[in-house]
Amino acid sequence: MKAVMIVFSQAHTERVEYMFSRLAIKGFTFWENVQGEGSKTGEPHRGTHTWPDMNSSVLTVIEDDKVQDLLIAVRKLDNRNKEAGIRAFVWNVEQTV
Amino acid sequence: MAIYKTAINKPITTALIFVAVIVFGVFSFSKLPIDQFPKMDIPYVSIMTTYPGANGSEIETNVTKVLENSLNSVDGLKEITSQSKDNMSIITLQLNWGSNIDESVNDVRSAIDMAINNLPDGCSRPMIFKLSTSMIPVLQYAITANESYPGLDKILEDNVVNVLKRIEGIGNISLSGAPERYIYIDLDQNKLDAYNLSVEQVGQAVGANNLNLASGSVKMGKEQYQLRVQSEYVESSEINDIVVANRGGKSVFVKDLATVRDSLRDITIDEKINGRNGVRLVIMKQTGANTVQITRDVHKAMVEIEKTLPPDIKFQIIYDGGENIQNSINGLSEAVMFAFLFVILIVLVFLGKWRAMFIIILSIPISLVTAFAYLSIVDSSLNIISLCSLTIAIGLVVDDAIVVLENITRHIERGASPREASIYGTNEVWVSIIATTMVIVAVFLPLTMLGGQAGIFFKEMGWIVTICIIISALVAIALTPMLSSIMLKTKKVIINAKGEIEEVSTRSGFYERTAMKWLAALDKWYAGRLHWCLNHKLITSIAAFVIMILGFLPVIMGGLGVNFMAEQDNGQLTATIELQRGTRVEETMKAARAIEADFFKIAPEIELISSSTGTSDDAGFSSLMSKANNNTISMTIRFPNKSKRERTVFQIAEDLRTYLKDRADVINYSVSTGGMMGGQQSNVAVEVYGYDFEATNRLTEELKHKIADVEGARNITVSREEDRAELQINFDKEKLARSGMTSAQVSMAIRSRVNGFAAGFLKEDGDEYDIVVRLKEEFRNSITDIEEMTLQAPTGALIKVKELATVQEFWSPPTIEHKRRQRVVTISVSPSGVSLLELANSIKAVVKETEIPQGVLINVGGTYEDQMEMSRDMGTLMMLIILLVYIVMASQFESFAKPFIIILGSIPFAFAGAFVALYITGTDLEMVGMLGLILLVGIVVKNGIVLVDYINLMRDRGYELNEAIALSGESRLRPVLMTALTAILGMVPMALSTAEGSEMWVPLGIVVIGGLTFATIVTLVVVPVLYAAMSRHGERDKEAELRKTFIFFDQTLSEEDRKEIEKV
Repeated sequence: MKAVMIVFSQAHTERVEYMFSRLAIKGFTFWENVQGEGSKTGEPHRGTHTWPDMNSSVLTVIEDDKVQDLLIAVRKLDNRNKEAGIRAFVWNVEQTV
Repeated sequence: MAIYKTAINKPITTALIFVAVIVFGVFSFSKLPIDQFPKMDIPYVSIMTTYPGANGSEIETNVTKVLENSLNSVDGLKEITSQSKDNMSIITLQLNWGSNIDESVNDVRSAIDMAINNLPDGCSRPMIFKLSTSMIPVLQYAITANESYPGLDKILEDNVVNVLKRIEGIGNISLSGAPERYIYIDLDQNKLDAYNLSVEQVGQAVGANNLNLASGSVKMGKEQYQLRVQSEYVESSEINDIVVANRGGKSVFVKDLATVRDSLRDITIDEKINGRNGVRLVIMKQTGANTVQITRDVHKAMVEIEKTLPPDIKFQIIYDGGENIQNSINGLSEAVMFAFLFVILIVLVFLGKWRAMFIIILSIPISLVTAFAYLSIVDSSLNIISLCSLTIAIGLVVDDAIVVLENITRHIERGASPREASIYGTNEVWVSIIATTMVIVAVFLPLTMLGGQAGIFFKEMGWIVTICIIISALVAIALTPMLSSIMLKTKKVIINAKGEIEEVSTRSGFYERTAMKWLAALDKWYAGRLHWCLNHKLITSIAAFVIMILGFLPVIMGGLGVNFMAEQDNGQLTATIELQRGTRVEETMKAARAIEADFFKIAPEIELISSSTGTSDDAGFSSLMSKANNNTISMTIRFPNKSKRERTVFQIAEDLRTYLKDRADVINYSVSTGGMMGGQQSNVAVEVYGYDFEATNRLTEELKHKIADVEGARNITVSREEDRAELQINFDKEKLARSGMTSAQVSMAIRSRVNGFAAGFLKEDGDEYDIVVRLKEEFRNSITDIEEMTLQAPTGALIKVKELATVQEFWSPPTIEHKRRQRVVTISVSPSGVSLLELANSIKAVVKETEIPQGVLINVGGTYEDQMEMSRDMGTLMMLIILLVYIVMASQFESFAKPFIIILGSIPFAFAGAFVALYITGTDLEMVGMLGLILLVGIVVKNGIVLVDYINLMRDRGYELNEAIALSGESRLRPVLMTALTAILGMVPMALSTAEGSEMWVPLGIVVIGGLTFATIVTLVVVPVLYAAMSRHGERDKEAELRKTFIFFDQTLSEEDRKEIEKV
């Protein structure tokens, strides 16, 4: 089991939802209105007057073999619009109840 | 913070706010008067102008036309009608209902001021009359007496009228047909001639000897006395010994010339109660006084008064306005109470929990008492309209609370605590509660904008229902969650022996075993049927369409009557019977007795007939109101209460009409069944406009005969009176001048001889009785007698009438009537056994095939016209309401198309059901029935929303279309049934009511019950099927469109990207 955390500009919300439904990923936890800045490229998403954009983030715990597909999908989405910004991070899951 | 959260957090504040609302409402209720209808100004203003000496056509051109032209510009004028008759012009302005009469009267006054200079000299200043409700009697008694009859006038005046006048709110009290004491001095013309005396001389002698005069004062010693000449008659017999003149040294006494009769006034009007001598006591109220209270007070006072009167004087009620109102109101109050009970039962059957029921039922009294507060604020009353509105509201106000409570219960059953469940549960549904409330408001608020007489009724209804429903929505999102959070209990759980958690079922028992089981079975059964229908959409749609067509069949075939307002059986008939013109009053009375006796035979149910024959005065104020003549009999016939007889007054009226038709001496008759408000009956009026009397008379006669053959045409009356026989005395002006007299003098003199010379009064016990000197009857009842009358010239010479004039029999021209400033004759026909619309159509057909001469115009109007106008208004209103409802629904569903599912899937079926119900019960579609149709739109749309909203929800939750529909159907069946059943059963007491006046509201009950039953059953099938049919196509498109929008998913990643990802 892996945990994938995807952080994306709010502009991508519907696309991310579509992505999940296409990949048949059911379980997730979703945070709305999170702030952040990319390490290399992209504008800050801070919800301020200067940087009004905001991010959302979703954390999903999935089977190992699905991670590839998800990451591919994320990249496809990123390709579609570099400006908006989407990043995915993968962890190992030690235990679940 | 949301209102429901505040309410739940502050239960005491919330509770007390609603307690305050209840207290305010109850306080208002205790102050509300009871009345029949909402307060309204009767929008009629009459203008009466006298022009002595002018005949009808002179009055028409010189007075009526001049005034009409000027008055035509009055604001808010609907129709102008007038009558021009000898000496008098009466113009009646009908203004729009609901307009400010005081303002209009001011307009009328200035219009008259503008025209006044163009009126002929000698014409009186026009008088303006405002018709007010205080002119309509509230109570009428028939008083009969035997031995006391001759003195009845004085007995009643002293003991009854004066006592009753003390009661608060009583306006005018009048005695009609009371015998008046008169002292007649009947002179012999021959003896007068022999002694060379005139009527005037006798009169003056009698008057001159009847004096009490102060004649100064006399001082005697220390005292001073007033001097009085005391020569008034103490007894009428004294008149016999008055000396009129001296002839040949001998005194001529009155007794030598005349007989003195101390008697009752000669009959010109004759009042009989059940054929016995009697008097009618008519009581009117002050404007704005409480009718019910007044009649109650009068009855109470009457009991006391009767004890003080001689035992042969008997009182019987002819008409009791208070009782009629009280009966109607009692009947409706009963309906309200039963509706309340039925709603409680429904809620109990569907929810099965006392606490839940209590919470829901509480919304009824709270919403309803606000209606009382409204009524009190706008100065209205408890009347038929307001109580009808309350009955309607009862079925509607529980719905919101039910939706909220149902959802809260669902959350509690899923394990939430009552407090949380109340917050989440309310949060989920409050938007849709606002939406359904908006639908009802969208239906009822436009009612307040309707004009005309119907507008006055519907305004109150619109506001009451709107207010009740808004308050009920507030109750549902504030009080209901608050009470739920406190009163509802969570499911009890225990740890059982095995150490596991176990639910303790608190809901076992009778309810679980019966109602619950049946309802569950019903849900299952319905879901099964719905599945079948969804799989056979075409068959279902066709079947539904056929059913709808069948429902509309009565309307298409014309089998459904349309009426303005139902005639009410309030146990009273009025009959007007006209004998041959010129019949003297004594002959008419004989005919009246015979007719009465026959009426009792034809209708043994009759309790009382009060008939009056002739007119009370030759030219009094009353002639403005009635057209009574010596040859007319008017009867008021009273029956026992509706429940105590088998035949309705309508059937009896029909029998009486058949009888009168066969009576040879009856020229014209009409038997009307009381109707509402001053007896205005629904009729079709054929108005024949045209200047030429000949042409219009001929056409009218022709039409009258043709219409008499039309089926269902009754009481055919023609407004233009036939020419009236008159005797004219034509003086030769030259001879008149030679004798030294003027026309004015001779006409006065003749009046003294025929009608009487007023010679003062006989005073007794503070009352005055007229002394009248005139010729004995045998000297004034033929043309020769009139010619032989002796007049006294100023010179003292006595001249016979025949020396100066000729007396001729003559036909006087009729009263000239105008409508819309044109000469008109109206043939008025009332329907019997057919609806007004049918009658109007057959009459129109008759008019069409009649040849109409040039210059004559025909219009078919009457209440039929008002009805068409109302139907048009209602139609417009219906469109407006449907549009508003569409707006609410479209915004609720956020879709242009989905509202059509409901509009097409339920409204036509509701109407079809209503029409079928009307057809089966043989009821006409009336004003209230149309209101019922409008009301139906509200309820069925509400039910449709409940269903469609839930289907939408299920679809959003990802269920497959058919599955979503079936699931929603199963889950929403109970709320839909509950709303429908509360509304249906709320109306049942109204539809079944047989109370007096129930004819008025029964159609409303029938329409709502029929329409709603039909619509609910069909809606539960058709709406889901339509939803499926409309969605299927769109949904497939939606998926394709989604793919197109999120095209990014279909791109192929570059090798670089792929490698980077696979690195992990």
